[in-house]
Amino acid sequence: MGQIVYAAAMSHVLHPEYYETNVGPRGRRMVEDLIAVVREMGRDLIARHPDAIVIVADDHLNVFSFDAVPAMCVRVGRTVRRMVQDDPIEFDRALDGLPDRYPLHEDLAQRILEQGMEAGFDFAASWSGALDHAFLSPLTTLYGDQPSPPLVPFWVNCFVPPPPTARRCFDAGRHIARVVAASPWNVAVIATGGLSHFPELSLARVGESDPAFDRRVVGWLEGGDHEAMRGLTTKELHETGSHELLNWIVLVGAVAPARARVRFFGEMGRVDLAAVEWPV
Amino acid sequence: MSRYDVNVLLYRLKKDRELREKFKADPSKALADADLTDDEREAFVRWDLRRLNELGGSLHLLLSIPGLGGH
Repeated sequence: MGQIVYAAAMSHVLHPEYYETNVGPRGRRMVEDLIAVVREMGRDLIARHPDAIVIVADDHLNVFSFDAVPAMCVRVGRTVRRMVQDDPIEFDRALDGLPDRYPLHEDLAQRILEQGMEAGFDFAASWSGALDHAFLSPLTTLYGDQPSPPLVPFWVNCFVPPPPTARRCFDAGRHIARVVAASPWNVAVIATGGLSHFPELSLARVGESDPAFDRRVVGWLEGGDHEAMRGLTTKELHETGSHELLNWIVLVGAVAPARARVRFFGEMGRVDLAAVEWPV
Repeated sequence: MSRYDVNVLLYRLKKDRELREKFKADPSKALADADLTDDEREAFVRWDLRRLNELGGSLHLLLSIPGLGGH
């Protein structure tokens, strides 16, 4: 019988220069503190020796463009590349200097897809999608210089309307947990993104976050109030800039009824940062 | 709502260096064949990021086009 041996969610631009540029020295210090916590979490993760890591994250309009945007998508294949961007600016610089290629756990990916079809989840499959900072910034911070176990990248469409509902994301997480339980593997599940930033995806509102909302969400996670997480509406997520919480809600579905332990919470202004672990 | 043609063009400006350089050199000429409304075309030519965003342009693309991204 397989099991989830580690579960955590965290912000995914773990790149001090980004915050130095956009927020200033206070932003840099805060993300450096967060990075130190995530490295510590990485030591716990590595000690669990997972056979695979499911990483739930979003695409920042890098992979799916606008030809077709799946609500949820599983990356299949043997290996996956880091996204390459000419003259990267902003958050794309978080990929600078990271390894080019990462192993995939194709068997677990196939089970999530195939058993998903049986269970009513028609996830998309991608054979070519590259990984941007949403996947690789947390992964490489957790693992440092060590090679990671094979990955199962799992994309949730957080930004191109209409996104999947919180309830659907929670249920997708339940599905992943059932697949893992019926498998022979020990699996880590990592969700990335957030907390609140870029409300309404409005350029005019870049720089705003919603600390009151974020405190409420963190309280729900600590208290194990998963119904509140499932009940979040697309409108609430959009207005508060909490689009990427959908990734976290997949993870909450996978680990429910566990209650979170908050390892880091910081109110920065432009974005609120967090790192959260679930005892599993 | 996201506006398909606006976003496809923003995506190409991010990913296609050749188009990006043509656009920087002469925006009107670079967009001559693009399927855009007059309002959209004007916002591209003036490189009015807020207007492009209001017209449905994806924030993440507007923030990350090399040499043209906004803050």
